[in-house]
Amino acid sequence: MIAGEFEFCAPKTLAEALALLGTHGSACKLLAGGMTLVPVMTLGLAQPAVVVSLNHLSGLDGVEDAGGVLRLGAMLRHATVAKHPSIREHLPLLAAAAAGIGDVQVRHRGTLGGSLVHAEPAADYLSATATLGARLCVRSTRGERWLTTSEFFVDVMTTALAPDEILTAIEIPKQPAGSGSAHKTLRRVEGAFPIVLASAAIGPGLAPARVGIGGVGPRPVVLDVADELRRGAGDAALAAIGDRAFEAAQHALTDLNGSGAYRREMARVYAKRAVTAALANLRAGGRS
Amino acid sequence: MKTLVKLQVNGRVHELAVDTRAKLAEMLRDDLRLTGTHIGCGTGSCGACTVMLDGETVKSCCVLAADANGQEVVTIEGLSKPGELSTLQQCFVENHGLQCGYCTPGMVLAAHQLLKDNPQPTEDDIRHAIAGNLCRCTGYQNIVKSIRAASGR
Repeated sequence: MIAGEFEFCAPKTLAEALALLGTHGSACKLLAGGMTLVPVMTLGLAQPAVVVSLNHLSGLDGVEDAGGVLRLGAMLRHATVAKHPSIREHLPLLAAAAAGIGDVQVRHRGTLGGSLVHAEPAADYLSATATLGARLCVRSTRGERWLTTSEFFVDVMTTALAPDEILTAIEIPKQPAGSGSAHKTLRRVEGAFPIVLASAAIGPGLAPARVGIGGVGPRPVVLDVADELRRGAGDAALAAIGDRAFEAAQHALTDLNGSGAYRREMARVYAKRAVTAALANLRAGGRS
Repeated sequence: MKTLVKLQVNGRVHELAVDTRAKLAEMLRDDLRLTGTHIGCGTGSCGACTVMLDGETVKSCCVLAADANGQEVVTIEGLSKPGELSTLQQCFVENHGLQCGYCTPGMVLAAHQLLKDNPQPTEDDIRHAIAGNLCRCTGYQNIVKSIRAASGR
């Protein structure tokens, strides 16, 4: 049982949900999959006065193919992101990231939008969406705005969302056909939260060639590695990419899972592993 | 504060006023007296509270009871008729897939989901499928063996 009393609302439409947020503002917490919010409320670490569930409104869990981009509803469950044929075909990196989140039960319930809004720096989706150049659609009764991941992720567990806004959709440019992708995570055991992770997306002709690193600072870091790889995909190029990951991780934080220094070394290792796997995958004709 | 919910549990429709602060696991145990759903950690790590919600396994300690309104729940009690065991449950008995039994309802439901999605799993598939369920007695060997036995039947 959660200790503190709260009001529970289950709006049927987005307009109703936005109106509730407009009225209650920061006293209100949105409940998506609840994989973080419910445990955190159970532990007494969050005590919102009003909980607004997004689980009973329709229209936030679609996968829309809009030409060069896929538009994904924020309430898509991780299991759907991992298995949906369009996402697997056009955004194999995102599908791979989703497939490794938590465990089966968590993937059935947890959501894409919920994870992005929680903005835990080592979350699987943060490095993946940053690498893929996602744009996020946020709505309020005041209107709609679109943010890039670097605008959206502000700090550790802090986003640019205002108290009356809802993340409704994530728009991601399709990875070019035949792209190689790899999502590599350092976890204590399966199901544990990543400590450091790297998401690589490499298109044919090295367009694009990016690796995003998470868990090494307050926000994901994305490196464009086309220059290194253009000089050949051998050990020298990988070592140079590893050095850049190490440099980019200079603000890595220390916590119970690892020191900042350890995370920096692991940023080097995982960036190289992700790029190596993505290149192998590119040569094999794509998919992750 | 109370919230009215109407939901189907193991094929039966229930309408009740639940404490808004209750989790689905607590509603099942305390209000409906379906005590086969166990609560271990209470925060989504151990999987003892696994139930099927609209046909897919979830950790019912991380779902508010109020949020399960309108949904269909299957608990361990719903996997077989009273007094009988499903093939999967029988395989757990035959292969010594449990010791203290605390994790068993969650393990069985996790395995049930696996066999529904993938009737012929490899040992690796089985191990990934129960990654969200902790057992502190068996060392998992006999749980894996039980699920393997059920997959052939």
